[in-house]
Amino acid sequence: MRWATLAWILATAPAAADDIAASPPTELSVTVYRAPFRAAGSIDLDGLAGFALVSEVRTVHLPQGLSRLRFEGVADGIEPASAIVTGLPPGVIEKNREGKLLSPSALIAATLGKAVTLLRTDRKTGKQQRLDGTLLSDAKGGVVFQTSEGIEALRCSGLPETFSFAGVDGLAAKPTLSVLVRSAEASTRTVTLSYLARNFDWAADYVATLSSDGKTMDLGAWVTLANGNGVGFPSARTQVVAGRVNRENGEVEPFDAGGPIFARCWPRGSTSDLQWMPGYLQFADEATRARMTMFKKSVAGAPELMEEVAVTGARNVQQEQLGDLKLYRIPEHTTVASRQSKQVRLMDRGHIPIARVYGADLAADESASSAPAHLLLRTVNTMANHLGLPLPSGHIAVFVMSSGEKLLLHESDIQDRAVDEEVEIDLGDSPDVQVTVEKTAASGPARTQLRAVRADITNARPADIDFELRLQMRAGGRIVHADHPVETKNGRPLFRLTIPANGSVTVRYQTEYRHS
Amino acid sequence: MDAARLIVVGFMLLSACAPAIAADRTVSVTIYNDDLALVQDRRDIEIKGGRQRIEFQDVSAQIRPETASLAAADISIVEQNFDFDLLTPAKLMEKAVGQEVTIVRVNPATGAETREQAQVLATNGGVVLKIGPRIEVLRDDGLPVRVIFDKVPDNLRAHPTLSVTVIGGHAGTRPATLSYLTPGLGWRADYVALYSESDGKIDVQGWVTLTNSSGVTYDHAHTLLVAGSPTQVDGGSPNHYRGPQPRAVLQQPGTESGGRERLGDYYLYPLAEPTTIANLQTKQVSFLDVHGVPAEHGYEFHNRWLGTSETPQSAKTIYSFSSGAHAGLGDQLPAGILRFYMRDKHGDPQFIGESRIDHTPMGSTLSLATGDAFDVKVRAVVDKRTRLGNLDWQSDMRYELSNALPRPVTVKLLQEGLWGDSRITAESQKSTRRSADTAEWAVTVPANGKSTLTASFETRF
Repeated sequence: MRWATLAWILATAPAAADDIAASPPTELSVTVYRAPFRAAGSIDLDGLAGFALVSEVRTVHLPQGLSRLRFEGVADGIEPASAIVTGLPPGVIEKNREGKLLSPSALIAATLGKAVTLLRTDRKTGKQQRLDGTLLSDAKGGVVFQTSEGIEALRCSGLPETFSFAGVDGLAAKPTLSVLVRSAEASTRTVTLSYLARNFDWAADYVATLSSDGKTMDLGAWVTLANGNGVGFPSARTQVVAGRVNRENGEVEPFDAGGPIFARCWPRGSTSDLQWMPGYLQFADEATRARMTMFKKSVAGAPELMEEVAVTGARNVQQEQLGDLKLYRIPEHTTVASRQSKQVRLMDRGHIPIARVYGADLAADESASSAPAHLLLRTVNTMANHLGLPLPSGHIAVFVMSSGEKLLLHESDIQDRAVDEEVEIDLGDSPDVQVTVEKTAASGPARTQLRAVRADITNARPADIDFELRLQMRAGGRIVHADHPVETKNGRPLFRLTIPANGSVTVRYQTEYRHS
Repeated sequence: MDAARLIVVGFMLLSACAPAIAADRTVSVTIYNDDLALVQDRRDIEIKGGRQRIEFQDVSAQIRPETASLAAADISIVEQNFDFDLLTPAKLMEKAVGQEVTIVRVNPATGAETREQAQVLATNGGVVLKIGPRIEVLRDDGLPVRVIFDKVPDNLRAHPTLSVTVIGGHAGTRPATLSYLTPGLGWRADYVALYSESDGKIDVQGWVTLTNSSGVTYDHAHTLLVAGSPTQVDGGSPNHYRGPQPRAVLQQPGTESGGRERLGDYYLYPLAEPTTIANLQTKQVSFLDVHGVPAEHGYEFHNRWLGTSETPQSAKTIYSFSSGAHAGLGDQLPAGILRFYMRDKHGDPQFIGESRIDHTPMGSTLSLATGDAFDVKVRAVVDKRTRLGNLDWQSDMRYELSNALPRPVTVKLLQEGLWGDSRITAESQKSTRRSADTAEWAVTVPANGKSTLTASFETRF
């Protein structure tokens, strides 16, 4: 084979690598995928379970020899194992994602066993005392240090004390990916970094408006996409992909954003109940702590509240085929800001013919007391019906025009529907149409059991309605007699009925089970 | 006291405690697949002759101390301790009970300091001090009081520490190797496959992904990756019952041998360069880069026994290819995740799904599901169940396949749960019995069209 037995590049120790930062992204592309397990429904801003493919184009100036190339400011939900870097010379030794981020506790941990300066301020005079010492321990939130005077614990004396550090010890402020590369010559290159990142999601949000005669509807839809990461993507080419893609639930090594440091002390019991000062003092200031909580949340997959819902113009997304998936391209570059949900127009179709179908699903030979029927809007996703385009899953709100005003009728979820498929929109229960089932006769425990059943469907609406009575049979059962024609749909007996306005219909049928 | 203090500083400044350890140190790490690594830490140790304690502070925080062993010439090991009593202010005070500390009172008005010697009497709930003849509660009045300790007690440390007591023969510096097993280090493979729809080929890159959550950094470590999982005695119970088998990824196990180094039945992937595995770092090194491997794109639908659905279900999108030397990847593949990409209309690669593979020998045929097809769907329906006799049933199945793509597709339809005692008595298209449990049909669905397949099964029970 052409490929090397081992592609590790043999060379000297990578100790003397130059640290090079790549430019900020000059071009960005974000493709958002839905939560793989969600078959229908809208996104949950409090737990965005989808993901995105982020591609960043950056410029790097590589010197000759070994260098460590840093890509700063990648999404904090990055799955480091999925990162792909293209455009580098053929000498990539390794890719790294550092898990430690710069935080007060990371600073303390990095300084452990090293020299540190203690600052002690006199509350009265404001005079600052600087003492050189060594950090001995940061175990379990308590900090022990040593100066020439002896060993002390941080902030246990009641005096304002803090440390002053010599440097940040290579800790990065933002999530950073680095590549160790050996270049034969100095060059300026355009490099593309692509990676999968968690904490994104999208869904379609449909609005159906029924015409006043109830025979057609207008269907419009938004693509609602959200980014729960702490990193925004300004002026990015943005796509969303419909269809379920496999995700192996690989664990992502978490970032260590650093917990807050508590200057925990020895027991602080006193001879009175008065609390002179809190049991601990927090090392991190409020802002840092808030940021860290936010960060941890975003890393853990639970974003903060979304700050804004941006509705961009009504230029529709463009759909194209991507393998067995559907890709929707947002026509203009758009900014996918951090912790933002955004809506772009998916489609607008009018005068779609619909059938209003009432129905009930019942066990074939059990009595059932009066229950409201279910109402569905049914259409077929074809060009003839002014549709004929893939309908990605999401949420649908059905409105009806009533004396010039729009009223909400029902909300439900819909699943992915391909072209030419039947589309059913759930409109909930209709109390005007009631179904009662009565078992009127049953034969004894013979080899063949016969049951007679009567179903009454009443209609309190001032119009004729179409009704489907769908029956669930036990295995080996069949309908032997019926006073209305029986059909079979999906292996189940079905009566298609028309219930007259303010009237009722009674269906009688007999079932048979053979026992051997 | 000063000497003691110096030693404490020495503890902390040097990575390991007295006797001082030279910088001449090599670390080698052998990482297995299932969160286990063998660390071999070789360094020069000064043996004083006679009984002596050697401490190792920079060992993995998750070390399994029972697996640690120190090997050096002319020493005998007395005992080995793993101390996990951590140095905190509370522990420091607790261990100072009965001992003298220095307290410094600071006058809040003037800032003037008053120094006194005090004996710690108790630390139960609060600190009780004996200062000269008086007994006081530390900072009972809330005024600032600094407490200064003379030394850190022997077994309190910033990190869990392994210490070995040895009796050395002749004095002198000699190399010693500490080896131990630790969880927290692991590796897997990550593959990137770019599928080209026009010519049905994939380009595959393989990366080894190392992760380190063991709590320490292994500097400049010689790293060896072992594709295999040595059984750990305490690692889970044997799995007698196995639930429904997942979809078979490996269609045809390979029989070819590659050029990789082996250890027993495991494959070895040595990293040619020593590398620094930092704590919490994810590191990737390339091991495979192949272009233009033929790959087949297909569809598959699995129906469980008597599976019936009201709404059509998507078929799975399948990509299959070989890992053989001829028209394949030409390598054995360590377990990991294979991510598929495909170029969109603008030529940008887009992610189209991923699939996990197990350790795969060279020459195997792999068939990976990347997701559900939007446009290719199957609705399986039990049309009728008829009782034929006491225990015999006839089940009439209907499978409605639809294709909204502008080209014909072939769906591999698998009816499972046949248990070996089911017979197909009638079918609209000839099936192949893949196993006693599974019947298979290859159904062609026309472009933007539908196909229907029917089959009657005769079963007992």
